[in-house]
Amino acid sequence: MIKRTTIAAVLAALTVTSVIASQPVRAAELSGSLSLSGAWAIYPLAVKWGAAFQKLYPKVKMDISAGGAGKGMADALVGAVDIGMVSREVDRTERAKGALPILIVKDGVFPTVSVRNPAVKRIVAKGMSRKTLQDICIKGTIVNWRAVGGRSAPIHVYTRSDACGAASAWAATLGRYKQDDLKGIGVYGDPGLLAAVRRDPLGMGYNNLSYVFSGDKVASGIVIVPIDANNNGKVDADERIDSREKAYKAVASGRYPGARREFFVTKGKPNTLARAFIEFALSDAGTKVLRDVGGYVPLSKSEKSEQLRKIK
Amino acid sequence: MLATTLFSGMLVVVIAVALYARSRPLIASKSLSAIIFGANWKPSAGEFGLGPFIIGTAWVTAVAAIIAVPLCIFASIYLAEYAAPRTRSILKPLIDLLAGIPSVVYGAWAALVIVPLIADHLGPYAQAHLKRIPLLNAEYVTGYSVLAGGIVLAVMICPVIISVAEEVLRAVPQDYRDASYAVGATRLETITKVVIRRALRGLMAAVVLGISRALGETMAVLMVVGNVAALPKSVFDPAYPLPALIANNYGEMMSIPLYDSALLCAALVLLVIVLFFNVAARLVLVRGASR
Repeated sequence: MIKRTTIAAVLAALTVTSVIASQPVRAAELSGSLSLSGAWAIYPLAVKWGAAFQKLYPKVKMDISAGGAGKGMADALVGAVDIGMVSREVDRTERAKGALPILIVKDGVFPTVSVRNPAVKRIVAKGMSRKTLQDICIKGTIVNWRAVGGRSAPIHVYTRSDACGAASAWAATLGRYKQDDLKGIGVYGDPGLLAAVRRDPLGMGYNNLSYVFSGDKVASGIVIVPIDANNNGKVDADERIDSREKAYKAVASGRYPGARREFFVTKGKPNTLARAFIEFALSDAGTKVLRDVGGYVPLSKSEKSEQLRKIK
Repeated sequence: MLATTLFSGMLVVVIAVALYARSRPLIASKSLSAIIFGANWKPSAGEFGLGPFIIGTAWVTAVAAIIAVPLCIFASIYLAEYAAPRTRSILKPLIDLLAGIPSVVYGAWAALVIVPLIADHLGPYAQAHLKRIPLLNAEYVTGYSVLAGGIVLAVMICPVIISVAEEVLRAVPQDYRDASYAVGATRLETITKVVIRRALRGLMAAVVLGISRALGETMAVLMVVGNVAALPKSVFDPAYPLPALIANNYGEMMSIPLYDSALLCAALVLLVIVLFFNVAARLVLVRGASR
């Protein structure tokens, strides 16, 4: 006669095993910790992605910090984090050290002037060519609004004081320049620059997409300067950007001069957990999170598959 | 207890040594005088001259001192000698409250209030009426200037100076005042000739404390000072103090070779300036006492 305790023990073992076995088996039951650090520009998006990722894989611990694109790159290259968030182009010396840039999101910088600018009518009608912008922001050869069609008044050029992707993107828009080359009063932070231009009728600055629009319209008090990319002396339909939707379209089309690319950087190919996170970010679910956050432009399908191929 | 005291004392040395160690790569490739007196700051071209930043720090601190010191000395004299106990009990906590406001809040306030004040009112006034005075040239005024940085710094160091100065004045024994009145001095004469003379060392210590705080104040200043690495020629010009340089570029310092060494060298220079200032002030105080 088998003892009752033995039957109970076997039944218990069977129950436990079947309960475990009946859990849905995910392709990889992901666990472990994933760390990201870097650009302020990507940080809010990464936090939202991290939260969604953690919902899917509760055993994964996300550790996301900001600190600037430079810190992100440095941390990724020494292996302090799994993924570095870098909101600017990766250069040759960094690639030589093993940086693998994965395009993750697109953004844009937009030049701005105040609505009370002396030359605003002409600027809105004819736009500004890249050369004019270069002369104002980099070379300093145009210093008066009279040269752009307004009354005689000095141009107050503003730029970002903190080392940031927006400034390097703006400098790159104007030519092969770096943030150091940008002239002007340095104001701290995107909102600071916006406030400075809004307040100063003689001011000219630039902002990221998410700051220059409030809701669907351009933020109050400022006007986006149309960049005359094809130098035809007038503002074509695709050069006029006066709503958030138009900005998204312009950046996504690849033809907007001020478009910027933002990257996740890993040292060599990403590890399993990092790869899963990047695949999530580039998936439809990730794109939905991106659209909910707002202020970023997702990649096209072909761009996404190209990036996914990179990390396989 | 000795150990903890020694530890606190040694901390300054430890920090200085660590900063020096991280600055070595830069100091090795360029001479120290080229770094400190160099007038060009262009990291992407390999130029790391800290001259404009040292001068910028000096300008902003000087403006802050010129505004704050007379104001605070008079305020502390009022609080210590003239104010009724009830008035003092209301005003002192209010002033101490100012010391607790975070730097970034001061910066936001200054960007909203002081910068437009300078751009729309003080600048045009100076341009119209004060053209002759070289340091007040206001041709190109955006509001982001040495003056804005100096004003916000002055507001931030006032509570420090007033607090210490008022304590120092109150610490002068009442006997001194009684003796002075007894020989027929008026209240003002007593204060200027007796109380202040007795408290002079302490007042100077209060000023030194305030200025040390001003030298290192970062966030509030960088939000309003304009951050242009050029020598200011007027108080309405922008400047770029050392703490602002470090705070602005900390995020990207790994991206250009020698950039991190340059920023840590700037930190070392700032530390040396503050230490030098404190040591000099201490020497003056000690010599004043021994006389």
